[in-house]
Amino acid sequence: MKRREFLKLSAASVGALMLAPEGQALKLPNPLARAPRAWYEGEVSTVLTYCENCFWKCGVRASVADGRVWKVDGYEANPKSRGRLCPRGQGAVAQTYDPDRLKRPLIRVEGTARGDGKYREASWDEALSVIASGMLAIKERYGSESMAFFAHGSGDTWFGDYLPAAWATPNVGKPSVSLCTGPRETAAQWTFGRGIGGHEPIDWENTDYMVLIGHHIGEDTHNTQLQDFSLALKRGAKLVVVDPRFSVAASKADRWMPIRPGTDTALLLAWLHVLITEELYDKAYVERYTIGIDKLTEHVQPYTPEWAAPITDLDPDAIRAVARELAAHAPRAVLPPGRHTVWYGNDTQRMRAVYLINALLGNYGVEGGFYLAQPPYIEKYPHPAFPLEPASGGCSGASGAAAETIETGYRDAVDHGTFFAKTTAVQELIPAMITGEPYRIAGLVAYGVNLFHSIPDVERTKEALKKLDLYVAIDVLPMDHVMWADVILPEATYLERYDDLVEIAHKTPFIELRQPAVAPMWDTKPGWWIARELGHKLGLQEYFDWPDIETYLDKRLASIGSSLEQAKKVGTLVQRGRPYLTDWEQRNLDPFGTPSGKIELYSQTFADAGFDPMPTFEPPEEGPVGSYRLLYGRTPVHTFAKTQNNWVLMEMHGDNAVWIHPAEAKAQGLANGDYVWLENQDGVRDGPVAVFATERLRRDCVYLVHGFGHRAPDMKVANGRGASDTALMSRYRLDPISGGAGLRVNFVKLVPGAPRPRLPRLTRLAERSV
Amino acid sequence: MARYAMAIDLSACVGCAACAVACKLENEVPPGVSRLWIRLEESGTFPDLSLQYRPEQCMQCADPPCVPVCPTGASHINEDGIVLVDAETCIACGACIAACPYGARYFDERGFVGKCTFCEHRLAEGRVPACVETCPTLCRSFGDLDDPDSDVSRAIRAAQRVDVLKPEQGTHPKLVYLNAPARFGLGREGMAR
Amino acid sequence: MTSTTVTTFYGAVNNGAFWHWPTLLHFCLVALAGGVALLVAYRALTSERFGWRLPALSVALIALDMIVLWAESLARWRLTHVYLFLSIRPASAIWWGAWGLAGSAVLGLLLAFGWGPRRLWGALLVVTSTMALLYPGLALAANSARPLWTPLLLAFMPVTGLLLAWGLALLFRQRDLRPAVGVLALASGLLGGLYLVGLATGDLAAREGLHHLWSEGGPWFVAALAAMVLAPTLLRRYPAAAALLVVAGAVLARTLLVEIGAYMPPLL
Ligand SMILES: Nc1nc2c(c(=O)[nH]1)N[C@H]1C(S)=C(S)[C@@H](COP(=O)(O)OP(=O)(O)OC[C@H]3O[C@@H](n4cnc5c(=O)[nH]c(N)nc54)[C@H](O)[C@@H]3O)O[C@H]1N2
Ligand SMILES: Nc1nc2c(c(=O)[nH]1)N[C@H]1C(S)=C(S)[C@@H](COP(=O)(O)OP(=O)(O)OC[C@H]3O[C@@H](n4cnc5c(=O)[nH]c(N)nc54)[C@H](O)[C@@H]3O)O[C@H]1N2
Ligand code: SF4
Ligand code: SF4
Ligand code: SF4
Ligand code: SF4
Ligand code: SF4
Ligand SMILES: [Mo]
Repeated sequence: MKRREFLKLSAASVGALMLAPEGQALKLPNPLARAPRAWYEGEVSTVLTYCENCFWKCGVRASVADGRVWKVDGYEANPKSRGRLCPRGQGAVAQTYDPDRLKRPLIRVEGTARGDGKYREASWDEALSVIASGMLAIKERYGSESMAFFAHGSGDTWFGDYLPAAWATPNVGKPSVSLCTGPRETAAQWTFGRGIGGHEPIDWENTDYMVLIGHHIGEDTHNTQLQDFSLALKRGAKLVVVDPRFSVAASKADRWMPIRPGTDTALLLAWLHVLITEELYDKAYVERYTIGIDKLTEHVQPYTPEWAAPITDLDPDAIRAVARELAAHAPRAVLPPGRHTVWYGNDTQRMRAVYLINALLGNYGVEGGFYLAQPPYIEKYPHPAFPLEPASGGCSGASGAAAETIETGYRDAVDHGTFFAKTTAVQELIPAMITGEPYRIAGLVAYGVNLFHSIPDVERTKEALKKLDLYVAIDVLPMDHVMWADVILPEATYLERYDDLVEIAHKTPFIELRQPAVAPMWDTKPGWWIARELGHKLGLQEYFDWPDIETYLDKRLASIGSSLEQAKKVGTLVQRGRPYLTDWEQRNLDPFGTPSGKIELYSQTFADAGFDPMPTFEPPEEGPVGSYRLLYGRTPVHTFAKTQNNWVLMEMHGDNAVWIHPAEAKAQGLANGDYVWLENQDGVRDGPVAVFATERLRRDCVYLVHGFGHRAPDMKVANGRGASDTALMSRYRLDPISGGAGLRVNFVKLVPGAPRPRLPRLTRLAERSV
Repeated sequence: MARYAMAIDLSACVGCAACAVACKLENEVPPGVSRLWIRLEESGTFPDLSLQYRPEQCMQCADPPCVPVCPTGASHINEDGIVLVDAETCIACGACIAACPYGARYFDERGFVGKCTFCEHRLAEGRVPACVETCPTLCRSFGDLDDPDSDVSRAIRAAQRVDVLKPEQGTHPKLVYLNAPARFGLGREGMAR
Repeated sequence: MTSTTVTTFYGAVNNGAFWHWPTLLHFCLVALAGGVALLVAYRALTSERFGWRLPALSVALIALDMIVLWAESLARWRLTHVYLFLSIRPASAIWWGAWGLAGSAVLGLLLAFGWGPRRLWGALLVVTSTMALLYPGLALAANSARPLWTPLLLAFMPVTGLLLAWGLALLFRQRDLRPAVGVLALASGLLGGLYLVGLATGDLAAREGLHHLWSEGGPWFVAALAAMVLAPTLLRRYPAAAALLVVAGAVLARTLLVEIGAYMPPLL
């Protein structure tokens, strides 16, 4: 007889004996014992806005009680969240109530150097006046182009587009281009004549066969993409994952191909070879929509699976099998582009290869492949024409080949000519700060860009910052790089502010409203307010004639027969799109914006510019003996290097560890949990970081989750936890076509004997939450 | 009068912890303790590997050892079969924490024991639990076991395999795991049918 | 296949100790209180010359135990402990313990003041003090998911409890308890041995538990058992030493079982 059953029996008998059932205790009115009142027991109001904990922009419903946001959820009507949020979106609330937030404007103490981190509080008026006079002095001395703007996040519409355009500088960089999507956008532009855009237009609902090249969906938790991916698997779609690491996606795959890092183009060429030589491709589609198949046929002859096998360290039969399965499922078979595509410096060509395969499968603009994403229609605020429009690109901005720079009478961006694409590469603006070539960048405004965690060669960045006349940081946290600025402006968090409308190119194009759920805490201000006030101090009133953001937004919304009042109620305004080629043909519109008006398997433009018109494989250079290629990626619960001070998210995942194959760890006498330093090919060290010996990784590389290793004493939670992959990237390889900075060209050794860091307990730090 | 239950499809779960974060905030769970956490298990040798992400939380046992041991009746089963703690009669003696085979309960420093409530406050409004609502892989289903058309009933019927944790404890969990990767299977018997 | 399994977590796992040192102390004090109360009952029923000191002492011990419990309780200021007495929870060991101690306290007072029918009070006190002695074993044995808390504790805890109390009593010239203490000591050692054998021959969980017990303080546990087994041989010539041995043994054994015994095998 089970012990509990025995106890129950005795209970029953005694209960009976006492002539009373096992009953509830009778309750006394006992004020001391009151259960704490839950937030949802009171008056709860909800506000529709969209999330800012990454750049995916999911629609959220914020629940407010007693003037505080307690919880955010997705809402059904929003095509980004569909009623669900990812872990980071769920946890975003804790950012607003982070006691370490920037609370008031700060001015670097006179007489201290950048990096000393000594600041005094200032009024907004003083802070903005200091910035304005600094900028005007630079304009006076070097011209307006000598001010650079780095911007990322919703507010980059103000500090990456609106203000720089009004001010007249082409030197505007967004990390989401040359450190992220640059190669795939440029490749798409010159293959399909249109970029990919911020929301990858994969027709997940209809695909039957998916091949992920890297692209670690599941750890990459872009919400809707993860939902679609998961639903596709539920529907029974087949999955192949090509990744040197057994990623979460790989664990769900029908086939995992643990490829040698940096050799993907060889694999892709072999797939092209099989598709073409075995005549498995969609002849009708290729005939009708593409040019250059004959040249491509000739080009891929040598690239047999047997040729690719030793290069990629993959089984030739497996390579051949996947190509045939792709063809068997076409056109409902797709190779998504991935998002972070700056890997090895020849990435535009790799992305071209990915697209050529998709084209041969006949899936571009066809159900189960790529749909054609349309931006929603809405007009800009009617301001006087800007002196110039910086080609800052970005997920939401123009793609790889922004319109030929119209004659503006202003000097080109300082990176112009260092690579082919017209978009600006944020990291290529930095040398001009040091060398003054081709002309000097003397001032920098960094809005929501993590200078020391997002841009490789941190030492160079620091050297550049030291040389500037003016460095302004607009941020929410005292990040490492923020505490270098001359003036620090504390922005209100997303739950506390309006922003410009976001226009999402999508199957069903839509517009989302960002509106405040609560008033800004402390002396923080929204980006639009900062841009407007600064604009006025810079004498740019004509562009900032709108008295407040409500007027601005209402005016724009009027252009589509809506209003701010309506938008506040519905949160998202959905329009109709033209997702498939058939939709375009019915209206006899030309879907392809390439020079030839077709999908270019062979790119004359590239040939003319001196690049391979068709992808070729170029082996990645090897690292010093005893070192491992440094790979990196995401953890589901963090966004880059911006959420490591969020106690809820840190409770889920509190630091990173260096992944290494157990055999390699053993060979160096290292065990799980040992602490090591990481030292790269140039002797740069970071850490200490714990060793995570795992079978999930090839033996020729190590892996770090990006975003940890903050050295920011004022970020009490994040400071000193884990190691920074960026710190170890003293090198990057410039993609001559897209301007992307290939980041997977660094190599590290594990140096034993590092001390286990002594850090305050997370629980204690969490309890400080305001 | 329902018999609420939850099912988590482990073949779809990616261990992203959105559910765990949602739970923390929805229910103001204090730092350092959890109603819901994620176990990540990897098994095998390169390249023959297998991963399992398993969210763990109160199993809402049909036969919960945490209830009879309670000396005040604070730990009880409500009319919908949800195991709850009444903070106002709890003396924080810890007997229920000792009795729970799944580590699902914790001391709340405010003087009582906390645990998963199946978000009963949301059920009252006709919403599903916070962890179910937000899951980006849609691998969680919830509903009334007595209703054959409820999400959870349908999910369980459709599943290749159904597992419960520690069936030998005879707790008859109303949280079940569906389609666990073969290498991590647990044995089907013992769920609350 | 040489398959390694690596386990990691997202989020805090609730694996903190739930019964801290005051609980360990309580499990000894409650034994003391119960054991002394039982002795009071025994005297009340048997001896002619019955003073107020012993019952007063038993009440004092109960009070001390309550103070320890109260001091460690998270619900210290919430006055929720009244609910122990406002519901009928016969399946709850703690509920029995509460009534046992409360009853023993009341009866102890009545006897100390010499109010009412002594023999009747004594008879009732036998019941209540036994409840108090039994409850720790019940409280532990109820947790079937914790392999070190086996049903055998239903016997081991009360016996060692009584041993602890009466062993201590020996030091206060309660000579006539010697034979009883001798028997209790041997019984304790025997039950302790059976306990270990039970684990060793039990299911996987039991064996995992034994391994845990052993690595966390097995030798001490064995030493405690040895002390209790050896004590009787000293009872005649060195009663004080024997008393100290059994008390030390009982305290140590109980403490280890509560502290280390909380172990739960990791979920697979
Ligand atoms: N949780 C979370 N999700 C995010 C983000 C976040 O910060 N946090 N950021 C978002 C953004 S902006 C981006 S750009 C995306 C990035 O996410 P992805 O676009 O998926 O990034 P990738 O670099 O393609 O994927 C990283 C994977 O590539 C593998 N890899 C490394 N080297 C190679 C190689 O040579 N070949 C192949 N085939 N694979 C390789 C790594 O092992 C890792 O598994 O994530 C988005 N989603
Ligand atoms: N080593 C390495 N480098 C990388 C990557 C990598 O994986 N490894 N990933 C690359 C990719 S794909 C991308 S897209 C980029 C991302 O590059 P970033 O966007 O620079 O990355 P984050 O770390 O998110 O930096 C965001 C900054 O904005 C601040 N911030 C957060 N919220 C707000 C807000 O509401 N207002 C304002 N004003 N500031 C805010 C944060 O405090 C932080 O300083 O990084 C690229 N760089
Ligand atoms: S993906 Fe997650 S973090 Fe990014 S916007 Fe959506 S909910 Fe927020
Ligand atoms: S949210 Fe869904 S996918 Fe993510 S860990 Fe929880 S159950 Fe798994
Ligand atoms: S899991 Fe634990 S807390 Fe939940 S019902 Fe079962 S025994 Fe009780
Ligand atoms: S801690 Fe509270 S709920 Fe748990 S058993 Fe004790 S009184 Fe009951
Ligand atoms: S049901 Fe509610 S309380 Fe339970 S784990 Fe899910 S979110 Fe937390
Ligand atoms: Mo990115």
